[in-house]
Amino acid sequence: MCIRVIGASNHRYAHIGDVIVAVIKEAVPNTPLERSEVIRAVIVRTRKELKRDNGMIIRYDDNAAVVIDQEGNPKGTRIFGAIARELRQLNFTKIVSLAPEVL
Amino acid sequence: MLKSVGHNFYTPFLSLFDQLVLGNCVLLVNLRRMRLEKCWFCSSTVYPGHGIQFVRNDAKIFHFCRSKCHKNFKMKRNPRKVKWTKAYRRLHGKDMTQDSTFEFERKRNRPERYDRNLAENTLKAIKKIDKIRSDRASDHIKNRLKTGKVQRQKEARKQLELGIHLVKAPLALAQDSSLCLPKIKDNVSQAQTEENQPMEE
Repeated sequence: MCIRVIGASNHRYAHIGDVIVAVIKEAVPNTPLERSEVIRAVIVRTRKELKRDNGMIIRYDDNAAVVIDQEGNPKGTRIFGAIARELRQLNFTKIVSLAPEVL
Repeated sequence: MLKSVGHNFYTPFLSLFDQLVLGNCVLLVNLRRMRLEKCWFCSSTVYPGHGIQFVRNDAKIFHFCRSKCHKNFKMKRNPRKVKWTKAYRRLHGKDMTQDSTFEFERKRNRPERYDRNLAENTLKAIKKIDKIRSDRASDHIKNRLKTGKVQRQKEARKQLELGIHLVKAPLALAQDSSLCLPKIKDNVSQAQTEENQPMEE
């Protein structure tokens, strides 16, 4: 669950590529992350449309984020689902390279 | 002098931005390839800057040309059952389905080396093939509607035959033959004159 958007005021919503502060509500057992842990994550997919400069509008089927550490490297080793291309410009290269599909 | 740096025509565009060296300054230009997609719902072409792309969780992309198609998709309607879509029309034989002109529009993922002559000829060919295809398609529709037209004409003729007294008073027709209706077909006018004779008496 999202607590805060990094680098934004109270009245801003996070979009694809924004880093958020979140708390884990549900965790798979036997993983390094536990329930009610406060972590940082970068948003990779949103149901809200993403508008690109070339006029393309993309909408995903769900809202998804990848848990990262302070430097911006993903904490995990795998990523599921498609990733938006915007992340490459924002220097999340590790995430982009792990992604099965970049759209 | 515009020179493209790291910009290869032979390979698909991998980067969102390419650098164009213009004199001393470097411009970051978005050279994303533009492709004309087909709307998933109605099969019309989606031009760049139009419509929405929906990416499903299994990474299948659906292109929509406008919100009408998008909303129908969200309602989970099957395009094959929605009358105004190309899918329905092709399925029910309303539109031409098999033609050699469709082969030209097949999606090819192999990038072509840029050749000026090839590009020129392709553009000319596109126009010609388009015209041929649309002509054939309209012929297909015309042929389909032909039987209905003939049927309607037959019915109209019969109706005219039976109801000629509504159009012109039989007395008037008999008295002044110049007021006769223009000949539709020989057997019709003959039937008219035959009908009128007993009425006269």
